[in-house]
Amino acid sequence: MSSFQGNEIIHNVYQAEFEGKMRLFTRSAYPPHYGERKIGDLREWIPHRSKLAALIVKGHIPEIRRDMKMLYLGAAAGTTVSHISDILDRGILYAVEYSAKPFQKFLQLAMERKNIIPILADAGSPEGYSGIVEKVDFIYQDIAQRNQVEIFIRNFEFFGRRGTSGLIFVKAKSIDSTAEPEEIYGRVIESLKERFDIVEWTDLDPYHRDHISVYVRWRE
Amino acid sequence: MWFGKISDDGVERSKNLKKSFLESYNSDPLPFSVFEYGKEIFGDDYYRILRRVAIEVAQESVEREIRREDRYVISLVRALDEITDTSNLLDERLRELREIKGSRIVEEFERKIAELKGLRSEIEREIESVMRKIAPNLSEIVGEKIGARLLEKAGSLEKLASYPSSTIQVIGAEKSLFKALSRIRKGKKAKVPKHGVIFQHPYIKSLPKKKRGKMARFMANKIAIAVKIDYFRGELDEMLGEEVRRKYEQLSRK
Repeated sequence: MSSFQGNEIIHNVYQAEFEGKMRLFTRSAYPPHYGERKIGDLREWIPHRSKLAALIVKGHIPEIRRDMKMLYLGAAAGTTVSHISDILDRGILYAVEYSAKPFQKFLQLAMERKNIIPILADAGSPEGYSGIVEKVDFIYQDIAQRNQVEIFIRNFEFFGRRGTSGLIFVKAKSIDSTAEPEEIYGRVIESLKERFDIVEWTDLDPYHRDHISVYVRWRE
Repeated sequence: MWFGKISDDGVERSKNLKKSFLESYNSDPLPFSVFEYGKEIFGDDYYRILRRVAIEVAQESVEREIRREDRYVISLVRALDEITDTSNLLDERLRELREIKGSRIVEEFERKIAELKGLRSEIEREIESVMRKIAPNLSEIVGEKIGARLLEKAGSLEKLASYPSSTIQVIGAEKSLFKALSRIRKGKKAKVPKHGVIFQHPYIKSLPKKKRGKMARFMANKIAIAVKIDYFRGELDEMLGEEVRRKYEQLSRK
């Protein structure tokens, strides 16, 4: 596209003005997956639909390299996974999802993308897929569950190496629906600090309310 | 590992990759990366083969899972009811026995009842976890327990998804509904039930009587939408639960 004036912030991820607004895109050889628009070879990445997009739009840019091996917990129907798959054009994405219904939709994506290994399993028991997933460079987790921090750590014990990065999205209400979000965030960060170095954390307002994301590095 | 087992003389390659993929369980983290061994066997084809096996396995298990899970919950809910009834009955008998005579067998009897109650809470936990998986939106709105109860009354997720909200509102109150309907048919005054199973929800129970009908109607409405999302899409929509919460706060204030 000759008229394209974009700024590449991560491999294949562009921020560009379109229809009078700054928008996020990933360069993709594949068709739309969840009804997003495709302009030329760019697929729009909508921050309201994807928490990772919200994080990037807010200026927090995790280091994701195109040749990374990544483990993604909570793939759901594959909205965010589809964009990460665009980024990792020389990498591998192991994507775990527990729930059969969204997994069906996700499977369509996995069949068309050469870098996705789909796994229908409970992220709470990494034992079950420990003979499938290799040691990875990045673990991504978006599963709204009460013990999600514990699950995150458990997966690092199985598939992390020293220095493996991680991104965890926490929804205050799923951890404890009675306590104040700030208090819950404090608790979550404290328990992450025991095993990780915290790179940074932020809320996802206004795209996803009562959510934070914490970017960490495995210490062990 | 998904392609075989490690033995003393290297890797013993699996003859059936789909089977070994499903059985690649290790109770502790492996001290090496699976890929290192896999590369030796498959070379550059490693990911291509892994991906092919993963997709084949996924296709088969996804079909199986979807068909099975709602029946599983329904059966568990019924088992739960039966255990509750049974343990209540046994509790009474135990009390009587203890009054008459304490003995070793009476103690044993007591232990077994306690075990049964332990099983009951395990079943409850299992119901919660499966409900979260197959009906995340329904669970978000009414909680896993009431959600499972609605599912049990309807018979399947498909049926529940096909119900209008007016039906959902009175699921579990069939007796009083039909009584009211027959009175209406005879031209008499009748009390039509406001709520069935969903009355158990604190958002309805805790409201003054006059407002319960309004809340039940609203909630049934959102449940009807939630179940349809669960059945057709299966992903959590956080807005729904939020709307119900807001309505409750609004009703409980004035």
